[in-house]
Amino acid sequence: MPLAVTVNFPAALQPAAGGASLVVREAVASVGQLIEALERLAPGLGKELDDPLYNVAVNDEMILHAVDRHPIADGDRVEIVPTMAGG
Amino acid sequence: MAVRDRVARLLDEMPREAQFPSQGATLFVDLERRETRQAFTPLAVVRTVLGGRGANMYYLHRLLDETLTPLDPGIPLIFGSGLLTGLVPSAARGNCTSWSPESGVLLDSNAGDYFPSFLRMNGFDHLVLYGQAAAWTLLMIRDGVVSFEDATPYAGLDNLDMREAVARDVGGTWARNLAMVNITRAGENQVLTSGIMAGPKAIYARGGPGAKMGSLRLKAIVTLAPTRELPTAQPYKVYNRTIAQKLLATSVVKNALSKTGTPFLYKPSRLLGAMGTKNNQETTWSDGLDAEHFDAHRPGMAGCFRCPVNCRPLNDLHSATPDKYDQGDGPEYVTLGKFGPNLGIDSVASVIRLNNICNDLGLDTASTGSAIGWAFELFQRGIITAEHTGGITLTWGDAETIERLLFQMARREGFGSVLAASTRAVEQGHYPAVALKYRIAVKGLGQSDPHDARILKAFALGLAVATRGMDHLRNRATLEINARINDNPVFKSELYGGAVSAEPNSYVGKERAVRACENIYAVGDSVGMCRFTTKLFNSPSLPGLPEFREQLANVTGLAFTDEALEQCGLNVMGVERMINHRLGVRRKDDTLPDRWFDEPNPSGPFRGERIDRDEFDAMLSRFYAISRLASDGAPEDAWRKELVGALGRDR
Ligand code: SF4
Repeated sequence: MPLAVTVNFPAALQPAAGGASLVVREAVASVGQLIEALERLAPGLGKELDDPLYNVAVNDEMILHAVDRHPIADGDRVEIVPTMAGG
Repeated sequence: MAVRDRVARLLDEMPREAQFPSQGATLFVDLERRETRQAFTPLAVVRTVLGGRGANMYYLHRLLDETLTPLDPGIPLIFGSGLLTGLVPSAARGNCTSWSPESGVLLDSNAGDYFPSFLRMNGFDHLVLYGQAAAWTLLMIRDGVVSFEDATPYAGLDNLDMREAVARDVGGTWARNLAMVNITRAGENQVLTSGIMAGPKAIYARGGPGAKMGSLRLKAIVTLAPTRELPTAQPYKVYNRTIAQKLLATSVVKNALSKTGTPFLYKPSRLLGAMGTKNNQETTWSDGLDAEHFDAHRPGMAGCFRCPVNCRPLNDLHSATPDKYDQGDGPEYVTLGKFGPNLGIDSVASVIRLNNICNDLGLDTASTGSAIGWAFELFQRGIITAEHTGGITLTWGDAETIERLLFQMARREGFGSVLAASTRAVEQGHYPAVALKYRIAVKGLGQSDPHDARILKAFALGLAVATRGMDHLRNRATLEINARINDNPVFKSELYGGAVSAEPNSYVGKERAVRACENIYAVGDSVGMCRFTTKLFNSPSLPGLPEFREQLANVTGLAFTDEALEQCGLNVMGVERMINHRLGVRRKDDTLPDRWFDEPNPSGPFRGERIDRDEFDAMLSRFYAISRLASDGAPEDAWRKELVGALGRDR
């Protein structure tokens, strides 16, 4: 069964992503692999994501460390969240 | 010894000439006698604690009489601008310092907008105010000339009307040649959560500075003078361009702060399960308050003097029947959190309206939101009833009642008078002692921001040890929340000067992160740099010690190494702890609300997380060891002697 993972982007990343969201339809097992797949879909996006400002939330839960190894499953909703904690 | 004698003795030791290019004088203002004197901060003091917040501590250390009470006119209120304030992009800031009537410990609050810069344009780096004026007074500083003016016509005015009246009467233009700090009715009535307004929204907020200024019967300080160049040791504008480019190239500035301002912080806290909700009984809240829902209400952005970031969102509610609270400035994330989830409100329009009202009433949204949230939980639990509230039912999310309570607070009417006692409501006999169990405060100060820190142990340690009480702006290791930094141990070690665990909920090495942040933020405050644009607060690539060192050399001619600056940051904390020690603060006060030790976090990916008392205590001991603190929480003896050698004895 093909994987379908939807990734939503904040406004600042939408030019690089080509829209508010992308659907990854290839077999990826982790966030690290997902980001590689995103780079294939939208070249340059991977570099933009390599920025400490951006965290990844999977199914509305934000990951704070070991992010590249975090497992991804079919149907997961992934969101890129600009993150800081001091305002 | 009376404050006048202390001032006289201090003046005897202070130079009468500027010690380096760009240095402004310190103006001592006796409001009771309507007398002023001036001198300059000694060089040894600047070398030890720099200017701004650091030098303010020198003045408080020398002038504080801890046998008095905070609102006694013999306790000075001190304003100070940083050494680079007004000259360097984003260095628009100054501090206001005293003994807090709200917390009972150090009062030290930072604000930007235009006053700290314009004060320097008038030749002053610090103001030391004491004595009670015979009647409401406006201190006018016109082209550097000081006069005492009758403020009786302004008594009773809140911020919007006050700004309109003063601009009309004085004749200047805000942000061009006119700046003001002022109190509102809340300050006049000595409401403990009242701040000193420094603009339409900018506020010296924390610790009740409005009440302190009200106790001196000082309604406002107004500066009127054209902006001018200060004499500097060397040209500095070329390097300013480097700093501005660095600011604007930083992702967090470019992609977030300049676009939406700080409300974008709401979503990550919510998704983490770290959003203090209903007085921290819960930890996540509606997506209806995510920053994008404010877009339609944000007609533009504003900023502080010569800051290219312009991070302050303006607002417009576009109401069908608008009143004076339909438009305004803000909200910041703190206000969004404190008047959104903290009070059970999920309407953008309600948060904006309450924000605009607080700006007009001169209320610190952090302490005010904390006081209201605490009361609501007490009511929910039946610890207080309608008998206490004058018949008002306190229901989470009831924005109309909260609006009514804000006006009651400012006027000290009905239950508003209880809320005006802030964290002191038990001490003043309004609530039973059991209420303290539900008070989210440290060292008598309600939490500044809405972030529930049961998960991130570095955040928790920072809130526990902050010298002014429970406040994230003193030392928050914000980058602990950024996964890319956590996953790069080499880079993370470089940032904090040693290994810090990648796991947010680990206690390992977190003392290093807090120590590093506390140092650089104290330096930032003392040179006048905004916290938002100081390295380690929100980004590892913002200006830090090397940039401060370079511009200090250009502007003042004073040579510092990065290590010397770091030591200055530590020294500022050391003097603050010496002051707190005199006010009775000890190690037991470097702690957290019981709820965070006793109740597990109820939601999010870290559900079940809490603070372990033993682990916390061990982390605190490690923090003391790397901070040169003795077991009583004050600087260890040898260091204390060094500080006293540079700053002089406290009495
Ligand atoms: S970053 Fe924002 S708050 Fe800070 S000085 Fe600039 S405009 Fe003011």
